[in-house]
Amino acid sequence: MTTATLVLTRVRIRGRLGLVLRVVLVLAALALVAYPLFYGGDVWAQRISRAAIYAVIGLSINTLTGHAGQISLGHQAFVGIGAFSAAFMASQLAAPLGFGLAAAALAGTVTALLVGMVALRVTGLYLTLVTLAFGLTAETTIFNWREFTGGGAGAFAPRPALVETDFAYAVLCLGVLALVLYVDWRLVSTKTGRALAAVRNNEDIAATLGVNVTGYKLGAFCFSGLVAGLAGGLFAYWNQVVQALDFEFQVALVWVLMTVVGGLRSRLGVIIASSFFALLPLTLPNFLSGLPWQPPFLNEAVYHVLPPFIVVVMLLLVLRFFPGGIGQLLAPVTRRGGPKGAKR
Amino acid sequence: MGAFFALGLFQGAVYGLLAVGIVLVYKAKRVFNFAQGEFGGVAAFCAFGLTVALGLPYWVGVVGGLAAAVAMGLVVERVVVRPLESSSRTIMLVALVGVALFAVAVTVLAAEPVPRVMPPIVEGGTVDILGAGILPQQLILLAVLAVLAAAMAWFFKTDLGLAVLASSQDLRAAQVVGISPTAVSRLVWGLAALLGGIAGLLYAPVGIFTPGFMTFTMLVPAFAAAVLGGMTSLPGAFIGGLAIGVVQNLGIYLLGQQLAVPGAAELGVFALLMLVLLIRPQGLFGKAV
Repeated sequence: MTTATLVLTRVRIRGRLGLVLRVVLVLAALALVAYPLFYGGDVWAQRISRAAIYAVIGLSINTLTGHAGQISLGHQAFVGIGAFSAAFMASQLAAPLGFGLAAAALAGTVTALLVGMVALRVTGLYLTLVTLAFGLTAETTIFNWREFTGGGAGAFAPRPALVETDFAYAVLCLGVLALVLYVDWRLVSTKTGRALAAVRNNEDIAATLGVNVTGYKLGAFCFSGLVAGLAGGLFAYWNQVVQALDFEFQVALVWVLMTVVGGLRSRLGVIIASSFFALLPLTLPNFLSGLPWQPPFLNEAVYHVLPPFIVVVMLLLVLRFFPGGIGQLLAPVTRRGGPKGAKR
Repeated sequence: MGAFFALGLFQGAVYGLLAVGIVLVYKAKRVFNFAQGEFGGVAAFCAFGLTVALGLPYWVGVVGGLAAAVAMGLVVERVVVRPLESSSRTIMLVALVGVALFAVAVTVLAAEPVPRVMPPIVEGGTVDILGAGILPQQLILLAVLAVLAAAMAWFFKTDLGLAVLASSQDLRAAQVVGISPTAVSRLVWGLAALLGGIAGLLYAPVGIFTPGFMTFTMLVPAFAAAVLGGMTSLPGAFIGGLAIGVVQNLGIYLLGQQLAVPGAAELGVFALLMLVLLIRPQGLFGKAV
């Protein structure tokens, strides 16, 4: 496997052939989304929305972990706060969808700012511990705050008429994904991206180069919180009801691992891996119960634990054999003029 | 209130025990060991299988559980930690999160995710301390924590412990004076897994246990305990563990019972962690950073 990967990544595709390949790849990817969207009915429109929401979450984690080198194990809290804010705006204040999504993004940003201001002052990965504790607190305290979240029954987020159909909503989700992709691309290819790379590689050296280390880490975390909140808002209108159960601790772990499997700093890889893990819990039970031979140990609990199990196995394989994740496997086609060596 | 204080003190013993393992790995490798709780989870499930399911004597279960934990530690060291030695700490941390999630998933797949009851080491009624009923098992837990924290503090004074510290500070220089990095790595992970296994075996009989019980409920307070203690201090882990247990239970008493705030225990731990990082990021016993 290692050798195959190495051979693949050493293939250099240059010039016109590379351009043609990239165009074909993009068209193929668009066709892959468009076909089920137009011909798959509501079921597939819903699934594509879910995949797009997961991809936005993956990109949010990619900003923090891939660009800034920090880890959040409490991202379910940011997504959840976004979702509940959007639902609060929609059901309690009857605000339009745009305000709901804006409130979700704002809530995610402010929460990230408050948590990050304390946790990112300290060198090292303390943000991991703080977000982990914050995620549990959000799950048990904030999401159980009856006036805000509606308690156990959940908060409702009815869709407005314009995006009421699943098809229209999928288009909206894909639009938001495209927007986040664009911002991420601009972020990386400007001064901010280079500063974050310096911070990620060595905080001390970055500081001597005049980079405001804490500021950039905090900025990256706030942007990550903004995108996570936005994804939460999209989730609220997608499901039309938000419950605390949707944002348990284990979900956040799966999100972080799926982003690493997709490949840190590889936008396409993150989108592919996120879509895969968005659809896995929906399609896996159908697939397994459709098998001609039923293994005796399969039951509801196993379906629940299989996606995390699969993501971990993929993670360990990825870290061992191609640390750049799916993005590294795609490198021969996506990078013109040969790959830049996969960095861990 | 006194009862909550006593309950917290004894609840804190298990956090302290996990924190001792976390501090050991942090001193040696400068990485937060997210798999520490699952060493205990695996040990508890193996011991349960041997004693309750197969009906073997209790000591066989204890030895088997600890052996399983150490084996898991060594496998993690060989399969996950050592190949990633040269990668960034971010990636190492993600990998350890993966290990914990993997262990939980395997436990669920191998054993039904139902609550189980592990028999305690010493049968018998509760002892009254400050109005709280404390099990003999919890007294043993606190005593073991005190002994192990002292033993680990002593370990870092011995030649072996100094070798661990030396390779942590400068791997190349340690190699030059004849310290094998591989041996040190195995020692650290085996020892950490043993500590985690002891924590799991001692804590499982205190209540009911389910797959992932050590990771999903114990690990966060244990990390908070290690941070409060200063991340590199073993007396700090001991005191930090007890302090977190007390704060958690006072949180339940003051916020949960008096003000009816949901999730008071988690809120207490989070607030304390934020306070420590805000006021004294080096912890109680750590050196200034």
